Amino acid sequence: MIKTVDVRKEYKGGITALDGLTLDIEKGEFVFVVGPSGSGKSTFLKLLTKEEEPSGGEVYVAGKNLSSLPRWRVPYLRRNVGCVFQDFKLLPNKTVFENVAFGLEVIGRPRNVVQRQVPQILELVGLGEKLDRFPDELSGGEQQRVSIARAFVNRPLILIADEPTGNLDPATSVGIMRLLDRINRTGTTIVMATHDHAIVDSMRRRVVELEAGQVVRDQSRGIYGVGT
Amino acid sequence: MRLRYFLSETFTNLRRNLLMSIAAVSTVAISLLLLGGVQILGMVVGNMTRSWEAKVEVRVFLLNDITEGELQELETTLTNLDQVRDVQYVSKQAAFEEFKEQYADQPEFYENLPEDSLPASLDVKLTDAKHSEPVATLVNGAPGVDEAKFGGDLIRRLLKVNSLLRTITFVMSLVLMIASAALIANTIRVAIYARRDEIGIMKLVGATNWFIRVPFMMEGVFAALVGALIAGGIVLLANAVLFSRMGEALPFLASVFSFSSGEIASILLILAGVGAAVGLVGSSMALRRFLEV
Repeated sequence: MIKTVDVRKEYKGGITALDGLTLDIEKGEFVFVVGPSGSGKSTFLKLLTKEEEPSGGEVYVAGKNLSSLPRWRVPYLRRNVGCVFQDFKLLPNKTVFENVAFGLEVIGRPRNVVQRQVPQILELVGLGEKLDRFPDELSGGEQQRVSIARAFVNRPLILIADEPTGNLDPATSVGIMRLLDRINRTGTTIVMATHDHAIVDSMRRRVVELEAGQVVRDQSRGIYGVGT
Repeated sequence: MRLRYFLSETFTNLRRNLLMSIAAVSTVAISLLLLGGVQILGMVVGNMTRSWEAKVEVRVFLLNDITEGELQELETTLTNLDQVRDVQYVSKQAAFEEFKEQYADQPEFYENLPEDSLPASLDVKLTDAKHSEPVATLVNGAPGVDEAKFGGDLIRRLLKVNSLLRTITFVMSLVLMIASAALIANTIRVAIYARRDEIGIMKLVGATNWFIRVPFMMEGVFAALVGALIAGGIVLLANAVLFSRMGEALPFLASVFSFSSGEIASILLILAGVGAAVGLVGSSMALRRFLEV
């Protein structure tokens, strides 16, 4: 599903974010990407949606080589890769329903599909009662559920989460992880960057540890880290 | 249906961002009004210079002993020139009558003159005032010609002033057109900048660039057209109320301040065209920055 071969990424100013990253993620896997800040986690995730381009090496997503993917195809790639962020990225002037519907409307889904799928997915994330609320009327955990609903409403093959629990308290985080686990069970591949020891240790999924842009540990059913 | 999405998105956004919409519309209206003002100024200058230049002609004074053949030949030569619009023979008698008319209130000027004391002439009307000197030079010294006269220095100065005026109004309207384009584009950029999060999320969930662009561009064009409509309305009103009154109050300027409906229509077309083009180009240029990634 995701494959990187000897990927390097240098930003302007000579900062090396990734230095020969080779990784293979199968369909339906749940992978934690851990490592200190600046180890290249976010850069790796950005390569998967072609938000950044590698300076060297190859990135394959859903069987496609991203470096030969023409610019105009990028939106179609992104429809297969849902994204969830630490800061939710919800639109404050749209309701919960509208925020999720927005994700479908802007890729041209017909109105009846939107009307049917949005309540379904909000039910799934446990917000079936709060369709008409605005984001600032919701708790952080609820906002993150909305953003997961938006990322997943299109049934993408892959869900990418960049520290989705970074702003949430431990109890709320557990709820979010349950939700992601449920989504994973539908066959969706999940790649999640995190700093959260407790979550990684309790979930016991594959853990990829990055350091200075390289894979230093790749462990199935792993824990956050021995030394850290 | 996509069109329905685009239209509802466009008008929802215009309504939700009402302040921005008003700012954009009034910016367009004001800058286009300035542009329209300069266009009108240009027309006034054009009318003025044209009415001056229409009076410019070359008068070819004929010798008393000119033969019928020489006169025929001279008239044919002049009539066949491209620069000549019309040639009129003024006999000695007619010249005297004209002179009498001109000095009707000072009869002592002509009372004692014999009727044939003024020379006959050919009055040559030109297609353009700038041809007066070359045409005069051409016929000077031809058989039967005493002297071909044109305004001389006065004409030269008039032509220079006119071309200067035209250049100034042209440059002014060009500068204003660029300035209003920049102003409108900037307003649109501010409006789009205020909504960059929305664009970011659209990109994130895989909206194509065109899908993002179209509602913004429609908003830009719509706002610009409304602005142009306002500016055009003010121009029409000014023409109906202000300029016609000015023409009545200052009859000698009436021709300068009267515009045909074609001229007014061309101003309105320029305003609407510039408005729509600027709205379209401005919004798509402003969007380009946010669409990268």
